[in-house]
Amino acid sequence: MENFQVTRSDSELMSTLKIGGFLDAHTAPALEEAIQRLVDEGRYNIVIDFRELTYISSAGLGVFMGFIEEIRSKKGDIKMCSMSPKIYRVFDLLGFPTIYQIFEKYDEAAALFNPTAAPATDKSS
Amino acid sequence: MKNWTSRSLLLPLGLFAAAVLLDVNTMTGILSVEAMQYLREAMIVLALILSLPIIYKQSWATDRNVLRGLRSLFYLILGTYLLLLLSSLENFAVTTQKTGENALYGSVLGYTVITAWTLFSCIFALVAFGTVRSLIFIKQKKNTASNFLLLMLCLVLYALLSLGHLSDMANRFSYRFDGETLGYIILFIVINLMVINSFRISWLNYLNKKQKLLIFWGGLILVPLQWLLNFKFHNANPAALFSPVLGRFVDMGFLFLSIYLSVGFVVLVFYLPTAQLFDRKMRQISSMHDLSRAISSEFDLKRLVDTIVQLAVQVTEADACWLLLADSGASGWTLAAAHNLSDEEKQTGIPDRINRWISDMKEPRLINHVVKSELNVPMAVWKRDVQSLIAIPLLTGDKTIGCLLASKRIEYGFEQDDMDTLRAFGEQAVVAIENARLIESSLVKERLEQELKIAHEAQMKLLPKVMPDLPGFKLEAICLTANEVGGDYYDFFHIDDHRLGMVVGDVSGKGASAAFIMAELKGIMEALARHHNNPKELLIAANETLYDTVDRNTFVSVIFGIMDSRKKCFTFCRAGQCPLLFSSARAEKVEVFEPPGMGLGLDRGALFANGLEEVKITLKKDDMMMLFTDGAVEARNPRGEEFTEIRLVALFQQYRHLQPKQLMHRLIQEITTFSGTAKSHDDLTFLIVKAL
Repeated sequence: MENFQVTRSDSELMSTLKIGGFLDAHTAPALEEAIQRLVDEGRYNIVIDFRELTYISSAGLGVFMGFIEEIRSKKGDIKMCSMSPKIYRVFDLLGFPTIYQIFEKYDEAAALFNPTAAPATDKSS
Repeated sequence: MKNWTSRSLLLPLGLFAAAVLLDVNTMTGILSVEAMQYLREAMIVLALILSLPIIYKQSWATDRNVLRGLRSLFYLILGTYLLLLLSSLENFAVTTQKTGENALYGSVLGYTVITAWTLFSCIFALVAFGTVRSLIFIKQKKNTASNFLLLMLCLVLYALLSLGHLSDMANRFSYRFDGETLGYIILFIVINLMVINSFRISWLNYLNKKQKLLIFWGGLILVPLQWLLNFKFHNANPAALFSPVLGRFVDMGFLFLSIYLSVGFVVLVFYLPTAQLFDRKMRQISSMHDLSRAISSEFDLKRLVDTIVQLAVQVTEADACWLLLADSGASGWTLAAAHNLSDEEKQTGIPDRINRWISDMKEPRLINHVVKSELNVPMAVWKRDVQSLIAIPLLTGDKTIGCLLASKRIEYGFEQDDMDTLRAFGEQAVVAIENARLIESSLVKERLEQELKIAHEAQMKLLPKVMPDLPGFKLEAICLTANEVGGDYYDFFHIDDHRLGMVVGDVSGKGASAAFIMAELKGIMEALARHHNNPKELLIAANETLYDTVDRNTFVSVIFGIMDSRKKCFTFCRAGQCPLLFSSARAEKVEVFEPPGMGLGLDRGALFANGLEEVKITLKKDDMMMLFTDGAVEARNPRGEEFTEIRLVALFQQYRHLQPKQLMHRLIQEITTFSGTAKSHDDLTFLIVKAL
């Protein structure tokens, strides 16, 4: 089984989860736990950095769906960035870009949680 | 006592009675005195020798019941002594010695007393030899039997040597120092052999402390009493008056018993201080044995840890003992088993300070005084009455899986020895706990596998068993499942005589839950296919129904379309599923249809409906279309490279002239060849339609 890593970094306005490796039904609980912890701590502004991710399965996609409703009801959001074309393809096929804002660069995603920064353009739009 | 009437004694008793009859003859004077004396003595010797086997045959004390033999001996000696005090034996014997006359036949009363005493003291000597032999033989070694036999032979020889003085009736007491060198030598050898045999007393060691103390107090009375008896009989031996051979035998019997009891007593005194230690060692060994047995027979983790704690209490005599096991995942400790912890202590759980102290501990610790200890054990925050403590971390490799702790209410309650034992305990316990956990997890695994098998069977049952007939078209579909149940699904729905609905779907996630959702999807699709002629409407309705029933992190990607055999057209919608591949017999290039549409179950309303787009394609003769799931493009080779959609499209183009069935086999073969030894981890589904 391939491994999966998730590392968290917090700033004043948001939290970033850098995920890497293989996200499937076996490793999804690790990501679930990480996001759950953020939600428990009341940190609803979340950026997921996909740069190191090599594979995502439907179960991995499901993790985000499990939280988005609650996070948005708390005026927060999950923004995604730095997906490889292959990963983006999986998101795209399922129509995820209409549900989530997905950016090419981390800064663009982070800027959305920073009211002083200039508005960024959405990759999907 | 009943054994004394056994057959082996009948003959000696009979001979003894004959000797008495001869005495009657002596008094009446039928035979010559000289001849009578020799005949009499010969009979007595024969009686003695015949009675000797009883020493071997009778088991007076056994390994399991040493105390019973000793107790009988105690009463025998005490009884004999009291009898000696009450009777006037000494008077008779001393009188005889002083007068120098043959007092045996002096009076009827004297004869009766001496004869009775002779018989009694002979039996005493036999019992004494028998008991001592039993004790000696309890821990039998190589030379034990031969040493004892040698003693008995020398003893009989020594007794027989007294026959030389037979004629000198007045001098019957002189057997002790008869002046003969041979007699001295034999006596010397006999006494040496007695001492050697007396050192066979290792049975004492195996008694517990209580039994040793009992024997010690008994011995304080018994040993002096026996020596007293020994001297009294030595000075005035009725048996010696009756017969010199019996006299020596009885004398030696008393002496041997005295020596054996004395040596035993002295050794016991030396054993006493270590009796407790010996008990403890024995207890440790038996606890270890119990633990080994528990380990090999107990696979239930809860019962196993309980056993470990109970045995640890038994072996260390701790006031309280408890076992902590590492929580799975978290860094804390759970109280797995406890002995003598209050409910409050159990409920409070282990405070963080103690947790940290335990986590940092890499080797067993013995703390004699918790409060004053330099180690600064934070035990008081949780359990107040701990004064001395042993803590044994349970390590596998350098990972701590738990900790065994034993405490006492007094300072310096434990010894180094206790810690060593608990350490050995801990090492065994680790193996046992790991074993129990492995078995537990393998049971869970087995159950999961069983569950997957059922899910897999359910999934297979949901798929159509035969391909439907549709005039003017040839259909082929297959669903290959990976080892783990994926959520792939295909199905056909007869709408009317010329229209056929077809669907290929993939439920997110795996296992039994995916199979259940698939079943639900099939139900929804079947119900809706009867009322909706329009793929878009049908999928919007299906999404609404499904959205309400599935978990938020679950969704289904489908591609659903209706094939009209009259109009030769296929109208379809893609909801998150892989695109449709279309190859026209007249065009060079394969067309990839990927109209927008998100998966079912992701959004309840407008977002889904608005995003869904319907596409209509017309199939002319030899045109072919294919639906597939991501298992086809995500198949990996051993290097981790994916098969990719590009490769699939290229193969579809290359083999488009084939019939659906051949194309399908070709594609599967290509993917299998590509994957090689790599294990497939997702289902793989193809649905191929060719216009005829």
